[in-house]
Amino acid sequence: MANKVFVTGMGIMSAIGNSVEETLYSLSNNRSGIEKIRYLETSHKDNFVVGEVKLSNKELIELAGIGTYNRTTLLGYIAVREALKMASITDMKEARTGFISSTTVAGMCHTELLYKGFFEGKNNENFMDHHLNGVSTNDIASHFGIRDYVTSISTACSSAANAMILGARLIKNNILDRVVVGGVDPLSKFTLNGFNTLMILDNEWSKPFDENRKGLNLGEGAAFLVLESEKWVKEKNKKVLAQLIGYGNANDAFHQTASSPEGHGALLAMQKAFKVAGITPDQIDYINAHGTGTPNNDASEGIAMQTIFKNHVPKFSSTKAFTGHTLAAAAAVEAVISILAIQNSMIFPCLNRKEQMKNLTITPVDTLEKNVSLDYVMSNSFGFGGNCSSLIFAKN
Amino acid sequence: MEIYINGMACISHHDTVDENYFFEDIGSVPLNNQLIATEPNYKDHIPANLIRRMSHIVKMGVSTGMMSMKSAGLEEVDAIVTGTGMGCCEDTDKFLRMLLDNDERFLTPTSFIQSTHNTVAGQIALQIKCNGYNFTYVHQNLSFEYALLDAMMLLKEQEALTVLVGAVDEITPSMFELFYRGGHIKKLENVQPIWNSNTNGYIVGEGAGFFNISRIATPSTYAKIKGVKCIQGISDANELTNEVNSFLAEIGLEKDQISLVLSGNSGDVVTDKKISEFNKTINLPIAYFKHLCGEYFTSSTFALWLAANIIKRQVVPNAIFPDQAQVLNIQNILIVNHHEDNQYSLMCISKC
Repeated sequence: MANKVFVTGMGIMSAIGNSVEETLYSLSNNRSGIEKIRYLETSHKDNFVVGEVKLSNKELIELAGIGTYNRTTLLGYIAVREALKMASITDMKEARTGFISSTTVAGMCHTELLYKGFFEGKNNENFMDHHLNGVSTNDIASHFGIRDYVTSISTACSSAANAMILGARLIKNNILDRVVVGGVDPLSKFTLNGFNTLMILDNEWSKPFDENRKGLNLGEGAAFLVLESEKWVKEKNKKVLAQLIGYGNANDAFHQTASSPEGHGALLAMQKAFKVAGITPDQIDYINAHGTGTPNNDASEGIAMQTIFKNHVPKFSSTKAFTGHTLAAAAAVEAVISILAIQNSMIFPCLNRKEQMKNLTITPVDTLEKNVSLDYVMSNSFGFGGNCSSLIFAKN
Repeated sequence: MEIYINGMACISHHDTVDENYFFEDIGSVPLNNQLIATEPNYKDHIPANLIRRMSHIVKMGVSTGMMSMKSAGLEEVDAIVTGTGMGCCEDTDKFLRMLLDNDERFLTPTSFIQSTHNTVAGQIALQIKCNGYNFTYVHQNLSFEYALLDAMMLLKEQEALTVLVGAVDEITPSMFELFYRGGHIKKLENVQPIWNSNTNGYIVGEGAGFFNISRIATPSTYAKIKGVKCIQGISDANELTNEVNSFLAEIGLEKDQISLVLSGNSGDVVTDKKISEFNKTINLPIAYFKHLCGEYFTSSTFALWLAANIIKRQVVPNAIFPDQAQVLNIQNILIVNHHEDNQYSLMCISKC
């Protein structure tokens, strides 16, 4: 499987911007997108801060310009459009092209508005047409005319990492020449209340890798990458942003929602990624950690990093205090951020952090670092169900 | 490289968990518009303390996975790949109603935790302590097919020697009402044999099917998987015929080597139009399966389980075969499935 996998385009919608350019601006100016709830209709409006995309549904409909769809499809469509444009792809038939999207709640943001009324007989709108996970994937794929391999993945908060892993494997197995991969999750009452019942939300700004961290801030967004085969990139003489050089998927097999204290699944995923990449841990220059800001995740992930990197843990940070935890989209959001770090020789900081975690010996980067040459960047994502995934991007 | 089904299990409306049962007692017309799963004794497959907290779909999925492992004589696998079209409807419904009814107060986390689509894959990994590759596909009626394609790719990549792959969907009262009021499910008085139906809507069903697949055949092997193909949609029956022909060419089979076609007619006169036309013109023996399991997004697990059983037993149950002609020496079975004419899939398995 000699075919290398290159990133040639990316697109992003999140709390810190409606494009790659806006995202870079926010990241390099310490501008977090976490604010009081503005758009989501919820009785918790004043109880939590969240990372909303700063556009109403109406504004999203205008920006997308494809008609009336729910927030999920619109966010995804706009991000895919940007990614395809950056990769200069217009003709879907010139190569075998796939689309792999991921989501956890899909159209829930729309369903929860209609659900009660439907079952009380007050409305008859069939929200199933928006609700199911495959719907937004199919809608987006059909808008761009992608047909060769169109599928949806849901592995909780590691979903988009798995979309990228699948995309890379399809290219390496010579099933596709190029594939758009990523994820999308809108903010919904369902997830806000779900995470609230688990008592892992911080009412204020989250503090990843801080001793006094209380939990995560939810976010929403979409991010997609265009992956293309080495062969196709050479044939078309395309501009390359980065290489997806390594990836690993493993299961913690410890608990439905919690990570094992020693981060066993995380460790296995990182080990697999090194094996696929053919590099050693000491070659990693920066890790964009999962770093949700929950007591459990950051402790478990930190221990796993200390184990695999022994006494030489590279520079690392979590960028979730910028974007919020965008669930299924998170790994793709952070893949875009990792590639921006490589391209701009910057490490974006772990915001809001004050006190060293007592059970870790390592400390994240907490102020913006410039002029740092990054050859290899690792990005980690973990989810409910024990799903752990790790990706490695290379500069060349 | 060959890929073998070395173990499998299926929960469906009929008593498919009983190894000796093969639809001997079934007529051609179901008596209901909803085919609820016949559940096994879950205690035989899942620790009792876990069963209590599991919803219907999780119990079906996990127990079917465990039964498949048992049938393959395995206690561990290298990877777990699952699919679900609708996910955990019961828990999603429960949490959503609770939050809407109580204005987002007084909520408990259990149903939220179990509402995520990867719950079944995660629970199986927990139960058999599998730290390997773990993936969940949620692409409507192609959820199982994409899971199977991934599982086969893992074997080809030599990333795994044995993979547990399967899918599950449940029908809950809320989902039934939703699809019934939306006109998707047949009215009771319109239930007919699905291969000869002139009424709207389908008979809805639920179930789980899991398969242990490997590059190495064992004494328990059922069949070889020749190929799987997903199709994003077709414009007419002709296009379906062309897709089938190119699929057969890809997997190196001539049309007349296909002993039997299992057709995914759902009984909906409108959306079955293309597949019915295809069935008439393909000139091969056609059998049906959705009158036994009902229509659901991952009903192709039932079809694959049925096909593998037919190949191993060399018997076509009368209940699925309106022709009632004798089909002998069953070498290759082609499954053609669709859901409401949206996405189509093709699967082919062969005798070992």
